[in-house]
Amino acid sequence: MNKLKLNYTSLSFLPILVCVPIGYQLINNIHFGGFKLFQEFLISAFNPKIDNEIIIIVINRLNETILIGFFSWLVSIIFGVIFGILSSNIFYKIFNIPNFFYCIIRFFLTIVRSIHEVVWGILLMQIYGINFSIGIIAICIPYIAVNSKVFAEQLETIDYKSFEFINQINASKFSSLITLIWNPIINTFKNFGLYRLECSIRSTVILGLFGIGGIGTSIFLSFQTLNFRELWTYLWSLAILIILSGLIFKKIKFNTTNKILSIFFIAVFLTTILFSFSYFLYFIFNNNFENFNSFSSLFKSSSDLELFAFLKLILETIILSLLSTGIAISLPPLVIGIFNNNTSKIFIKIFAFLFRLIPSPIILLILLTFNNPSLSLAALTLGLHNAGITSKLLFTNLEDQDRRNYIAMKSLGISKKTSWLLGLFSQQAKSYLAYCAYRSDIIIRETAIVGVIGSVGLGWQLQESLSSFAWQEVTIVLIAYSSIAIVGELINGKIKNSLT
Amino acid sequence: MNNTLLELKNISYKYKNNLILSKINLKINSGEKIALLGKSGSGKTTLISLLNGTIKPTQGEVKLFNKSFEELDRKQKSKITTIWQDLRLIEDFSAEQNVNFGLLPENNFYFAFKNLLNISSFKKAHKYMQLCRLHNSIYDKKIRKLSGGQKQRVAIARSLIQRSNILLADEPFNNLDPKLITTIKNLLLENVDKNNTKKYPKTVLVALHRLDLLNDFDKVIGIRDGKIFFNIKKNNLKKLHLDKIY
Repeated sequence: MNKLKLNYTSLSFLPILVCVPIGYQLINNIHFGGFKLFQEFLISAFNPKIDNEIIIIVINRLNETILIGFFSWLVSIIFGVIFGILSSNIFYKIFNIPNFFYCIIRFFLTIVRSIHEVVWGILLMQIYGINFSIGIIAICIPYIAVNSKVFAEQLETIDYKSFEFINQINASKFSSLITLIWNPIINTFKNFGLYRLECSIRSTVILGLFGIGGIGTSIFLSFQTLNFRELWTYLWSLAILIILSGLIFKKIKFNTTNKILSIFFIAVFLTTILFSFSYFLYFIFNNNFENFNSFSSLFKSSSDLELFAFLKLILETIILSLLSTGIAISLPPLVIGIFNNNTSKIFIKIFAFLFRLIPSPIILLILLTFNNPSLSLAALTLGLHNAGITSKLLFTNLEDQDRRNYIAMKSLGISKKTSWLLGLFSQQAKSYLAYCAYRSDIIIRETAIVGVIGSVGLGWQLQESLSSFAWQEVTIVLIAYSSIAIVGELINGKIKNSLT
Repeated sequence: MNNTLLELKNISYKYKNNLILSKINLKINSGEKIALLGKSGSGKTTLISLLNGTIKPTQGEVKLFNKSFEELDRKQKSKITTIWQDLRLIEDFSAEQNVNFGLLPENNFYFAFKNLLNISSFKKAHKYMQLCRLHNSIYDKKIRKLSGGQKQRVAIARSLIQRSNILLADEPFNNLDPKLITTIKNLLLENVDKNNTKKYPKTVLVALHRLDLLNDFDKVIGIRDGKIFFNIKKNNLKKLHLDKIY
């Protein structure tokens, strides 16, 4: 018998096997109690509530969402650039600073990044109480670390010969630094920075579900009152916002040689830094941390966590990440490959958009109407939401792909599905898997959100510990979360390197 | 009076256990115009990289103004400029911005910043670009849009604008047509311009392949397999010398 040989194409489909255990558990957990509700939810999508009152609410809530999203984006991009420079090797080479500092900053940013913005949000809300600025701070903390990683990675691709030239002409260190980093920073901002605004808006919506404000809070409240028509009004208005912002970003072209625009950007840059520092100081000195009197309370509070139960939660979180990643990787190529015609493509794109649009906690709550809470249900939710994102990337890449191989195969009489698989997808499989490796980093962090809602893994424990102000438990759970995310990031980093 | 600017004392250089240069001794005096001859892979580029301090020797000592590179301050180090064989232009910037990079050593951070934003003065850059026979239509074009010859002249203009005392050039006449080669060679080697004002650089070392370009040099150094085979006055150069290195 021939040995099974794995290649990038087969590796893209193999993870779909996770659907076997997920499907088995889901079938066992099915109940029809809330089926009517689910039906009502679907029908309401075509009949959203539209009247003057709700339009005013939508406008106000969207304003809040845009404000939180925009400010957290602006601050996180600017500080992302600063920390990106501080965590790139080019900075240390130019200033001859020992690598020790480089390792410390990178390690610190990795820890900050490993905790999801929702966790930061819940944590800050518990300490500080519900506040508009908490949303901005909660998004900014991990986003600065994520952005700094992307900027640092780009700075490390600077041609060594350019560095040698600048070094050899002996310009001042700051002049050398800015000359070398200017273009990579601008290019990264153009390619990645605007996309982060969309991410920032999505995070604001998710934080809204936990009470921060904005359209997310309205979505959650309308779901709690089972007012699905209202819920869909909010969801569609959010969809319009995301589509519009996407269209605007496509139109924006940055001309870095435009003097007035450049001066404007620098003014925004400096003002944001100044404002952020002032606000940070205000935040530190002018608040009465409601439920968190001192750091000593971290150690005074007791912990009721049992070792075995805690290890079980860690294991659940890891399994949840693996199962969700499996769905997010394999579902898009499988569905696109099977339903490979123009009409199906439109439907797949609509579903993918809806999975991206509807926040994962809401997807989970909807699925809970006809299924009992379980690890599989949480995995399905997270998998579907992320499959919406990976399928968008796959569609874009496939549309940009050279189609000559595909046409040649079809002309040989090979079936459309096989031609698609071998002539189109096989050439994208490697880069698709590399992106999925990056995506799985995010999935690990997102397990916290579905965990809180779906009573699964460490997310659930975190919510419980926070509710009872058991700070020692909170610390332990956060350390466990962070460790899983860091280990996951290291493994995914290795996979990405081997794929690129 | 000792007018040695650059000195290599018993230099050896190894890269990944391969001996690239072996026991090189060399003195470059002020005002000398030196041609460095040798086959491809003979060690010319490595020698230039050692002379400008980009790489450190495995053994031996490099001295500039009688001091080792570690003892020199930034201003002293900037008295040496290089035209690299691979040019080392920064592709995403315009030709005039790249030429202005040569002014970074004598200017502050604010100048570097203005240059990046394209709001600094390019008057000086344009003057040197004109000297290198670059047409004004390419001044604001990005490097990646220029031809090989244009890029070569931008790199030369960038080195000249630095007004350094010592110029090291690694095959600077690549990609240039014969007429331009003469113009550029005169630009690099003549100490005095039409107005009789002193020009920079005063001391030049050029790595070459073409023997017909040796006319205006004072000295010729022949290098083969990482060793200096001869270091003689140009007038004493015989076919026998060339046979040793080619």
